[in-house]
Amino acid sequence: MAGALSDLKIIEVGEMVSAPYCGKLLADLGADVIKVERPKVGDHARTRGPFPKDDPHPEKSGLFLYLNTNKRGITLDLAQAEGMELLERLAVDADVLIHNVMPSDMDRVGLTYDRMKRANPNLIMTSITPFGLSGPNRNWRAEDLTVWCAGGVCVLNGGGLEHADLPPLKTFGQQSGYQAGVHAAVPTLAAAFARLNGEAGQHIEVSGQEAIISQLEMTFEYWPYMKMIATRLGQKPIQPVETMQCKDGYIYLCCIEEHQWRGFVEIMGSPEWAGEEIFKDRLTRAQNWDVLKVFLEEWVSQQTVLDLYRKAQAKRVPFAPVSTMGDLLSNEHLKSRGFFVEITHPVAGTHKYPGAPLKYHRTPWQLRTPAPTLGQHNDEVFGAKLNLSQSRIDELKRRGVI
Amino acid sequence: MAKPPLSGIKVADFTWVWAGPYCTLQLAHLGADVTRIETKTRPCVTRMLPPWPNGKFDGLNKSGYFNQYNQGKKSLSLNFKHPEAKDVAWRLIKEADVVVNNFASGVMEKMGFGYDAIREVKSDIIMISLSGYGDTGPYHEYVAYGPAQVPLSGLSSLTGYKGFPPMHAGFSYADPNAGIHGAFAVLAALFHRKKTGEGQYIDMAQWECAMDLLAEGILEYTMNGREPERNGNRDPFMAPHGIFKCRDLAEKVMDMTIDRWVSIVCADDAEWGRLASAMGEPELAADLRFKTLAARRANEDELEALITGWTLPQRFDEVARKLQAAGVAAAPCADNKYLCDEDRHVAQRNYWVELNHPEVGVQRHAGIPWRMSGTSTAVRMAAPCLGQHTDETLARLGYSKEEVESLRKIGALD
Repeated sequence: MAGALSDLKIIEVGEMVSAPYCGKLLADLGADVIKVERPKVGDHARTRGPFPKDDPHPEKSGLFLYLNTNKRGITLDLAQAEGMELLERLAVDADVLIHNVMPSDMDRVGLTYDRMKRANPNLIMTSITPFGLSGPNRNWRAEDLTVWCAGGVCVLNGGGLEHADLPPLKTFGQQSGYQAGVHAAVPTLAAAFARLNGEAGQHIEVSGQEAIISQLEMTFEYWPYMKMIATRLGQKPIQPVETMQCKDGYIYLCCIEEHQWRGFVEIMGSPEWAGEEIFKDRLTRAQNWDVLKVFLEEWVSQQTVLDLYRKAQAKRVPFAPVSTMGDLLSNEHLKSRGFFVEITHPVAGTHKYPGAPLKYHRTPWQLRTPAPTLGQHNDEVFGAKLNLSQSRIDELKRRGVI
Repeated sequence: MAKPPLSGIKVADFTWVWAGPYCTLQLAHLGADVTRIETKTRPCVTRMLPPWPNGKFDGLNKSGYFNQYNQGKKSLSLNFKHPEAKDVAWRLIKEADVVVNNFASGVMEKMGFGYDAIREVKSDIIMISLSGYGDTGPYHEYVAYGPAQVPLSGLSSLTGYKGFPPMHAGFSYADPNAGIHGAFAVLAALFHRKKTGEGQYIDMAQWECAMDLLAEGILEYTMNGREPERNGNRDPFMAPHGIFKCRDLAEKVMDMTIDRWVSIVCADDAEWGRLASAMGEPELAADLRFKTLAARRANEDELEALITGWTLPQRFDEVARKLQAAGVAAAPCADNKYLCDEDRHVAQRNYWVELNHPEVGVQRHAGIPWRMSGTSTAVRMAAPCLGQHTDETLARLGYSKEEVESLRKIGALD
């Protein structure tokens, strides 16, 4: 069955996570995505790993292989005028050009919407950058940590009252890249939908920082509404919502509704202390958390994670294990839903990867091809698609354009 | 300027709390006509959560949390204890293009609004369920709360300081992540329907969607059989890579000293050289303890202590500006006050939304994180008060004034 986006033609000039994740979301639903990488070195993600047997190799980076499934790969040096001309020619029959080239580099190589629009007035061009294309910080250098910080998340995590000297804490991985990528995929598809309604192409600009701010849950509005700074060091207003250690791992206690607390107390065998006045509701449980915590830690430390999880869920209490990677890979629920997918790559070999974020009943998410090797589709794209002769392609390769 | 891309698309919004509303918020941002189905008998949890403009709960329309994530939507109040209220919902569904919910699997069916029932009356409908565990599998009836989905996904076991227990992400990250992916899925389905006329059902498990964000951790395990080690803010390929204290200008807020911090990253040796110069100690660049990435990684405690010695007496945003001018990646570790009042960049990009709301007046909210050259990118209205659009919606659905009054009298609109 064809994917929902099977006749969408996309060019991706993407490094690391943001534009590649946007491209992956579209490619996994059937779009034809041609990924443009720098000649010889390729996407920086190829250097990041993890690598099988810890052996760094540009064709074996787990991050790259995950983010670039279902794409075709070509190489092109956009810093050379001929490279940009070839990109323009590719854009002529594309629907979308996604990129995460930094604004200063866009200016330098001439990757502007005006230029691309001249090549193809119907083109949708999506520019994903850490801070957007305007404003005083547009050219700020950025890594995932600095953008995640600038978006306001790190300050919410880490430390705790007992460890106020430990710094605010980054969330694992490349989260600002993922969020910028998926927040870019939304307006990009909306623009593609508008084109089906007869609208023209357009330029979309996405700021990673703004994408993160828009997800801050209630913490952002505490300042405009109440002039309160939201911090990782504050006491929680309601309890229990905490990670605790069992005999064989960690569990996340989450019982913030009164009926959930009653359910938890029953699971614990209704101990006498649970009837104390200082634990009578979720507010007092938070105010007296230092005392309650000791009781709970003592009891929870005698339990096993899965047993407590199942008992809690049987009473509709939303506890959850603090899953390790091994827990996830062996989990019976995820197995039965077929979440993890096995991909065989000609160089990296066969491994299990995270699979579909959503299940579409009519137009399934599909893995058609593994991530491309560097320049794998050069001949196919420059030859068959752009009609360049083999000698011309060879010459461009010699000069490092391709 | 063209019409917004989703002009004319109608969304019947059965969502509540956080993941679902974040999904339909994106659709409203893009111009869809989103109608929230709410009830006064069991209001959306976020209507009762802080922050409130006067510091305490006094009514269902004042929560900053609710007002942030429901901008640009309408609210229709219905009490499904009355079959007449269900008839109203059915009329709304019949004119809708998209139905969205984020209940646990099976709840929509119990309410009578399962996909099979809806498809009977509207064959090309697009319906999406953003549940915690998905519609199939042995745990599909398990209950999920946003905060618990972060540890469940595996993110917590990867996040934390070296040698310490797992940490949470600090917010219910799996919720907005599900919401934004859900909006993407709806758009893909709309695209497909436009070309083929076919609607479809989309099943999302928030748990699965969150695991797509930690591929590096999962692949470390599937490629090498190893659980990745928690390592604070550090990175295997870059050093320094951290968040540094700027204590001397800490502000006292509500009896608590709030330190401020700055994030600094050097991607290579050249950037480290520029940082050393900016610190006024250019000779550190050639210091054997720090000359190469491997050396900086081996002496990272010492490296971080040196940098902290330099950042500590300075303002955090000035450190960031100074380092950016020198060509080093740095950014303030922003809190909500900084973002709102001090971040000139965000303000100059006109990201904030300040619309008049009937009960909270003009408050600042986060806006739309993208700009579209062909379409105005502006939030069109403040979040709705509970039931604010009930009469308007019923009129649009063809109910006469008398019919609305009688529905009201029996309590179907509570």
